[in-house]
Amino acid sequence: MTNKLSYDIIGLALFAAVILFGVPAFFGYDGFELNTFSRYLSLAIVSMALALSWGTAGLLNLGQAATFGMGSYAMAMHLKLKASGEGLPDFMGWNNVETLPALWVPFHSLTFTLLAGLLIPAAVGGLIAIFMFRARIAGVFVAVITLAFLVAFQLLVIEQQGFTGGQNGLTGLAQLELFGWTVDIYATSFYYLVGICLMVALTVGLYLTHSKFGLILRAIREDADRTRYFGYNVANYQTVIFCISAGLAGWAGMLYALVLEFASPTYMSVSFSLAIVIWCAVGGRESVLAAAAGAILVNLAENRLSDVFVEGWHMMLGVLFLLVVMFMPRGIYGVIVDAGRALRRKGGGDAEEPAYDASLKSKQEG
Amino acid sequence: MKRREFLGRAGAVGTMGLAGGLSAPALLSGVGRAYAAGDDIPVGLLFSLTGAVAVVEHTLHDAALMAIEEINAAGGIHGKQLRPIIEDPASDPATYADRARRLMIRDKCVSVFGSYTSSSRQAVLPVAEQRNNLYWYPTLYEGRECSRNVMYGGALANQQQDILIPWLVENYGPRFYMIGNNYVYPKEENNYCKTLLKDLSGEVVHEEYVPMGHSDFSSVLNRIRAEEPDVIFSTLVGDSDVAFARQYHAAELNPEKMPVVSLTRSEIEVKAIGGEAAAGHFSSAPYFMGHESPENEKFVEAYKARYGADAVTHFVNEAAYFQVYQFKNAMEKLDPADVSPPNIRDAAVGMSMKAPQGEILIDENLHTHLWPKVAQWQADGQAKVILQSEERVAPKPYAAYPGQECTGKGLVKT
Repeated sequence: MTNKLSYDIIGLALFAAVILFGVPAFFGYDGFELNTFSRYLSLAIVSMALALSWGTAGLLNLGQAATFGMGSYAMAMHLKLKASGEGLPDFMGWNNVETLPALWVPFHSLTFTLLAGLLIPAAVGGLIAIFMFRARIAGVFVAVITLAFLVAFQLLVIEQQGFTGGQNGLTGLAQLELFGWTVDIYATSFYYLVGICLMVALTVGLYLTHSKFGLILRAIREDADRTRYFGYNVANYQTVIFCISAGLAGWAGMLYALVLEFASPTYMSVSFSLAIVIWCAVGGRESVLAAAAGAILVNLAENRLSDVFVEGWHMMLGVLFLLVVMFMPRGIYGVIVDAGRALRRKGGGDAEEPAYDASLKSKQEG
Repeated sequence: MKRREFLGRAGAVGTMGLAGGLSAPALLSGVGRAYAAGDDIPVGLLFSLTGAVAVVEHTLHDAALMAIEEINAAGGIHGKQLRPIIEDPASDPATYADRARRLMIRDKCVSVFGSYTSSSRQAVLPVAEQRNNLYWYPTLYEGRECSRNVMYGGALANQQQDILIPWLVENYGPRFYMIGNNYVYPKEENNYCKTLLKDLSGEVVHEEYVPMGHSDFSSVLNRIRAEEPDVIFSTLVGDSDVAFARQYHAAELNPEKMPVVSLTRSEIEVKAIGGEAAAGHFSSAPYFMGHESPENEKFVEAYKARYGADAVTHFVNEAAYFQVYQFKNAMEKLDPADVSPPNIRDAAVGMSMKAPQGEILIDENLHTHLWPKVAQWQADGQAKVILQSEERVAPKPYAAYPGQECTGKGLVKT
């Protein structure tokens, strides 16, 4: 266990070095590349959040995009109000909404927005979790319920045009002002802001998985009944990790709305939610680090492939995912772990083999 | 399908990366900022070639690409060839935003031509404004936008409805049934229609919005049968429009008594609906494939020769086509050393050209003066123009909002 902890800390340090120093140095602090990377980093947060609930506790949340979307809308609502000044946001006029809905009023405050982007998704996640886990729903049914919630929630957002901007989402946003600093999304400083957010999220994730809390979650994943007989309240543990995962997804959503400068109901689409699952699976769901790396690598691959093969890149990515699922069911993380184990075994084998050879030789000689 | 010279691009990216690694400060200080300083002129094409709206957007892509090829075949602009950089945003707004950054920031395109839906335009808008680039948007849209970085080639509410609504009230009657998809364009068009109807003492018997992609209209048709409106005013788009037209036909309602009058149905939708089911209904647009003008004959002929005899032109890909020529004319007016997106915009303002639909003009508010037409669909899938505006109509993006006007200096409150 301590061994694994030290590997993870080394992994985190390496990851941080690559993200915070390697990437900017390699891409020459150029606005375009760093901006593209800050998008990947915010997606890495939502992927690692899924790894917390799916990899650690075995709860496959197909509705991760819903909580991600809530975060992005929270941020976009604040920036939309800022852009509208004294008046109403423009899309409300289109929908004949006369006064600012009560739901929107508190988003004038930045503090409220930052808290809401974290806590509203967490609360919603918690509410769903309480209903699910109290009823001891597990396995594929968790996936079905969360997926159904996602679809219903997206539909609601699209239908309630007067409050949400409908199909177009929230566009025409102002720039964020964070404690007197106007956030320029093409500046290096913004890249570091997202990078540091990712590192904080990863540290939280690693802390959780290595704590006793994480151990119990893994126990629940392996055998929920047995853990229950030991006297642990399984539903409570599941609810808490579900909450944390949803909150982190909301946080990622806030950053994503900043990077792209709009919030759209497509952030809550089924295809986006499944993409998160794919990133997590490619990286390796058992490790938050691997899941984050998976999100970055898959998006990077998508970017580079689509740059060269304008129309064929979807197909290539699809084939790539199929290969990963067929030959690397535990993702890149699984390959690394297996390789490490094989190396160690080989190291041990080397010490024994000469003895074996010697005995063989002596027998032959004898 | 590789549409680009892979090796050439990979080489260029490689050198860029190398230069970036070796001399980051040089990049920061703005070396290489000049637009179109190379041997050719990079322009972006940002139309979805895959995904939900690809059926329509691919035809916009085709028309714009054809115009670029024609210009290149005729010797380019100032002796330089246009280099189209093609991206596929796959009908996803986030991908639009990403690819727009590529084209405008990395590839330093002097202009980008793209998109069909409002949501994709609004995904591109922040990048275009922040980088002061120019986005040529060929689609009809809801108006109420006044960006200095978008060239709007499509019709606005006043250009689609001002001649249409009085004619409908006079010839069919004042009772309108409004049906549209649930998003901003139908709502805004209906708002405008209601202000026109008020002056004509018309009435709206029912207003209804269905989700995007909705395809079961049995309850809508029942209500239509019960209400017996004079006009069914439709702002349904894509699959919904096709499904509605077919079900209307199957329900054996009579287009002569209550025709569907659409602001969005073009040759491409009718191709999917089938001429039989579309016959007798109306559309309002500045261009129809059957419009008679020398420019249109040339356009349709070239388009069919390039993309097949059953390819159709329609009011959005006509705009995608003429916008490339507007771009060319503006570029030719500029000294090659002065080429930049804002200068192209300023040169384009006030410029007129003969488009397939008639002689058009770019207003100082960057929208286009167009020739409104109303046409009736025939069984062969073509539209017969039965009403044509006698004069070119100026674009008014804030027509439904007294007290606001989009001018050359941006939005002005009067």
